[in-house]
Amino acid sequence: MKRLLLVFSVVLSILVLSNCGIKKMEDTKLLEMKVEGDPTVSFIVWFKVGSQNDPKGKEGLAMLTGRLLAEGGTTFNSYEEILDKLYPIASSYSVKVDKEMTVFYGRTHIDNLDIFLTLFKQAILSPAFKQEDFERIKSDMVNFLEKDLRYASDEELGKAALYDFIFDGTPYKHISDGTLESLRNITLDDVKAFYKQYFNKNNFVVAVGGNFSDNLPKKLKEDLEKSLTDGLETKYPEIKTQPINGYEFLLVDKDCNATAISFGFPIDVVRGDEDFFALWLFKSWFGEHRNSSSHLYQVIREERGLNYGDYAYIETFLNGGALRFPQPNNPRRKQIFEVWIRPVPHEARLFALRAALRELKKIVDNGLTKEQFEITKKFLLNYSLFYAQTTMERLGYQVDSRFYGVKDNGNYIEYFRNKIKNLTLEQVNNAIRKHIQYNNIKFAIVTKDAEKLKEDLIQNVPSPIQYPTPKPQKVLEEDKEISIFPLKVSADKIRIVPVDEMFVK
Amino acid sequence: MKKFLQLSFLLLGAIMLMNSSKGKNFFPYDYKVEILENGLKVILIKMPSNGLVSYYTIVRTGSRDEYEPGHTGFAHFFEHMMFRGTKKYPGSVYDKILTEIGADANAYTTDDYTCYHLNFTVDNLEKVMDLESDRFQNLSYSEQDFQTESGAVYGEYRKGKASPFFWIWETLCNTAFEKHTYKHTTIGFEEDIKAMPTMYEYSLSFFNRYYRPDNCILLIVGDIDYEKTFNLVKKYYVSWKKGYVPPKVEPEPEQTKEKRTIVKYPGKTSPIMVVAYKGLAANPKDKNYVASILFGSLAFGANSELYKKLYIREQKVLFLEEEFNANRDPFLWMIWAQVKDEADINYVEEEIFKTIEYYQQNPPDSQKLEDIKKHMKYSFLMGLETPQKVASILARPLALTTDMQSIDDYYKTLETISPQDIQSVAKSYFVPNKRTVVVLKGSK
Repeated sequence: MKRLLLVFSVVLSILVLSNCGIKKMEDTKLLEMKVEGDPTVSFIVWFKVGSQNDPKGKEGLAMLTGRLLAEGGTTFNSYEEILDKLYPIASSYSVKVDKEMTVFYGRTHIDNLDIFLTLFKQAILSPAFKQEDFERIKSDMVNFLEKDLRYASDEELGKAALYDFIFDGTPYKHISDGTLESLRNITLDDVKAFYKQYFNKNNFVVAVGGNFSDNLPKKLKEDLEKSLTDGLETKYPEIKTQPINGYEFLLVDKDCNATAISFGFPIDVVRGDEDFFALWLFKSWFGEHRNSSSHLYQVIREERGLNYGDYAYIETFLNGGALRFPQPNNPRRKQIFEVWIRPVPHEARLFALRAALRELKKIVDNGLTKEQFEITKKFLLNYSLFYAQTTMERLGYQVDSRFYGVKDNGNYIEYFRNKIKNLTLEQVNNAIRKHIQYNNIKFAIVTKDAEKLKEDLIQNVPSPIQYPTPKPQKVLEEDKEISIFPLKVSADKIRIVPVDEMFVK
Repeated sequence: MKKFLQLSFLLLGAIMLMNSSKGKNFFPYDYKVEILENGLKVILIKMPSNGLVSYYTIVRTGSRDEYEPGHTGFAHFFEHMMFRGTKKYPGSVYDKILTEIGADANAYTTDDYTCYHLNFTVDNLEKVMDLESDRFQNLSYSEQDFQTESGAVYGEYRKGKASPFFWIWETLCNTAFEKHTYKHTTIGFEEDIKAMPTMYEYSLSFFNRYYRPDNCILLIVGDIDYEKTFNLVKKYYVSWKKGYVPPKVEPEPEQTKEKRTIVKYPGKTSPIMVVAYKGLAANPKDKNYVASILFGSLAFGANSELYKKLYIREQKVLFLEEEFNANRDPFLWMIWAQVKDEADINYVEEEIFKTIEYYQQNPPDSQKLEDIKKHMKYSFLMGLETPQKVASILARPLALTTDMQSIDDYYKTLETISPQDIQSVAKSYFVPNKRTVVVLKGSK
C-alpha cells in the first residue's frame, strides 16, 4: 500500500491542467483531449438519442433505458458484482439523459484503467436487461415524479412546469423522467427495442480525456462498433412551439409556504449562433446565475429582501438550486429565455412578478448602457474560466461543440472568451431588441390559493408591498410604480392545476 | 440527507509551523504554513491551475457557537451581513470590484464553521486580499441594511422548508440533543429567524467576539508564489486585532436511553427514517474515531451487504446510506433510509439493528476492510482536481483541527485499523442507549 501511495503523490503533484493538448480528429465518432500529468482518464460515450425520441405514451423510455445500462447488471456481472468491482478503485460510471442526448460518463485512475474500461464497455454493450433491475429503476423514477418533484422543491417544480408549458405539443414537452402514466406503460421489452433501435453503431461518439495511450480512444470506438448492432443515425424531430399570445399562466396550486415563479418564452438562438454571445452577455448582466452581479438579484433580493435570489438564462440550466456553474451535455436545438424568481412570501408574489417584468421591459426598451456593457464583458472574460475546470467538464463541452457544430479548435472556453472580447455594445443591444421581449410570455407559478392569484391577475389589482423592516425612500418611490405595473391577463389564459395532477400524463 | 461531508472524514489535517510538506506526505501538493502574530493561521498550497486561485477564509464559528437563547441561525445570518461592505468598500463597491475581475465569490455556514470563498485569476490576488482583509476588520452596515438582509435569510428558510429532509433534520437535532447547541440546525428555528431584524446590536457583538484572526484560517490554493503571497498577507492582515472570545457551549450530558419520535411532513413523500448514534468528536489520531467511520462504510455504505439487500435485491428502500460527520464536539453517526412502503419501516429498522449486531458478534472480512481503505484513498486523491476542489475538501478538517498534518495522521491511523477494531467500536458505540430514531411520514 505504501508503494501505491507514493505513486499517487508523484503523479498528482505533476498534474498540469494548463497543458491540455487537444488533438483535432477528423473522425466524426471520436474526440480526444490529452491532459499531460492528469492521473485519471475521463470517458464520455454519447448516443444521439434523448427524451425527444420517447414514443408517444412511453415518455421516460430513453431515461429508463439509459439508467438500466448504467445502474443495472450486464451479461457478465450482476449489478452487485459490478459495485463490488468498482468500489475498491473508487471509480464509477453514470448516465445523463436529456432531450437530445444520452451520455455515459466514466472516470478512473490510470492505475485501474483496465478493470474500469472492461466494466464500462460491458455496461454499454452487454446489458442484462434483468426484470428486477428494470423494476427498481422504474420505481425510483415514479417516486421522483410523484413525490420529489411535486413536493421536495417548489422552485424545481416551477421550472419543470415552465418547460412543460412552453413546449406543450412538441417532443420537448415532458421532462426526461416521463409521466406517471407513461412510466407505468413501459415494459422491459420496450426498453430492449429502444436500445436496439438507438444504441447502434452509427449513432454514437466517443470522447476520451486525461492521460491515456494514443491508441486507446480508437480502440474503444472500434470495440463499440464491433459489438453494437447496425442501425440508423437518429433523425431529430422538429421542435415547433406554439405562439404565445400575451401573458399566459400555469398556476400550480399547492399548500406551500412560499411562491415559486418561473417565466419565459422560446428564442431562436442556440450556442454558436452569432447573437448567442451577445445574448449571453445580456443575460449575465440581467440575471447571472447565483451571483450578486445579477441585476434582478440586486432589485428583488438585495434592495428589498424578498427572496434568496433572482436569475435569467438563455440556455437550459439543470439543477440550478445545487450548482453554481452550467454543466455541459444538455444541449437543445430550441432554447428559451427564462427568468427564475426564487420563492417569495405569498403576499409578495404579485409584486415580485411585476418587479421582474418591469425590469425586463426597462432593459428591452433601453438596452444596456456603455458602463453596464463594459463591466459585464470584463466579468465574463474571467468568470467563464470557471465553467470548465476539470478534464471531464472540458470534455463535455467538446461533445456539446460537436452537437452544435461549433468550430472551437478544441477549447470552447477560449472560443467563448474571444467571442465575448470582440462584442460591441451595439451588437448586444441589437440582439436584445431582436430576441427578447416582454409582451408574450408564459409563466409557471407554484403557489397557495391559486384562485386568488388568478382573480388578482385578471383584475390587474395593484400590489402595494408592506415590508417588515424600513426601506430607503428611493425604494419606496419605485415600489409605487412596480405595484401598478400593468399585467393585462384574460381569464382564458390562466390555467390552474392542482399539484397532484402535475406530470400525470 | 446526502453524504455531503464524506470526503471531510478522510481529511482531518494538520501542518507544522513554517513547515514545507514537499515529498513526504499523503497529501500530494506542496504547502507552507505561517501564523501571524495576531494568531491568523495562513496556509498556502501550490498547485498548477491555469492561473486560477482559490481563496478561503475559514471562521471557526458556526451554529455550534450560538449558545445564547433566541439566537439560533445567527452565524448563518451574519455570513450574509459580511457582504454588506465597509466604509472603504461599501457593499455595492465590493460587488462591483468582484464583478469587474470576474470572481466567483460566495460563502456558507455549517454547524462548526463559516467559510468565505473566492475563486479568481492570480493577477487579482492583491486586489482580493485588500477587499477581504478590509471586510474582516472593518465591516460596517446600517441597521436598515441589516433588517433588509433578514428578509433574504427568511427567504432561504422558506425555500428549504419545502424539502422533507429539512423537517426530519430539524427534528433529529432537536430530539437527540438536550443541552449542546447541536440541538438546533444551522438555519435556526423559525421564531428566531423572524426576530432577527431586532438584533442589530447583537450582530455587532457577534462580529467583535468571533471575527478575529485568532479564530480564523486563511487558505490560498493555486498558481501562487509563496514569498510574494506571504508578504501580501502580512501587509493586509497584520493590522487585524486579536480578541476571540470563545462561546460558552454546554457539553451534552451522557445519553442514557433510546429516544424516538415521528415527524409529520405536510407534503407527500415516501417515509424517511434515520437511526442516529451519539458519536465521537473528530480526531484523526483516535483509532476508535477512524474505526467508526470505516464501520459506517462497511455496514451501511454504497457497497455494503445491507445496501445490496434492501436497495437492489428486496427493493424495499429508495436509498440507504450512512452519514458519519466530522465534528468539533461529539455529534451523530447516522444511518438514513427512504422506505418505499410505510409498512416496511419496522422491517428496515430491524435490518439496521441486525446489521449492527452482526458486526458486534463478528469481525468483518479483512478483504472487505482493505477494499474500503483503498476506496477512501483513491476517492480522496481523485477529488483534488482544481484549487477550488482542494480548498473545499480541506475547509472542514482545517476548521476542526487547524492542522494539515492530520491528513497524514488520518491515513496512518486508517492503516492500523483491524477487523477486531471494527468489532470493538460496533460494541462500544452502537448501542441502544446512545440511539435516536426519527421517522418522517408524509401526508396521505
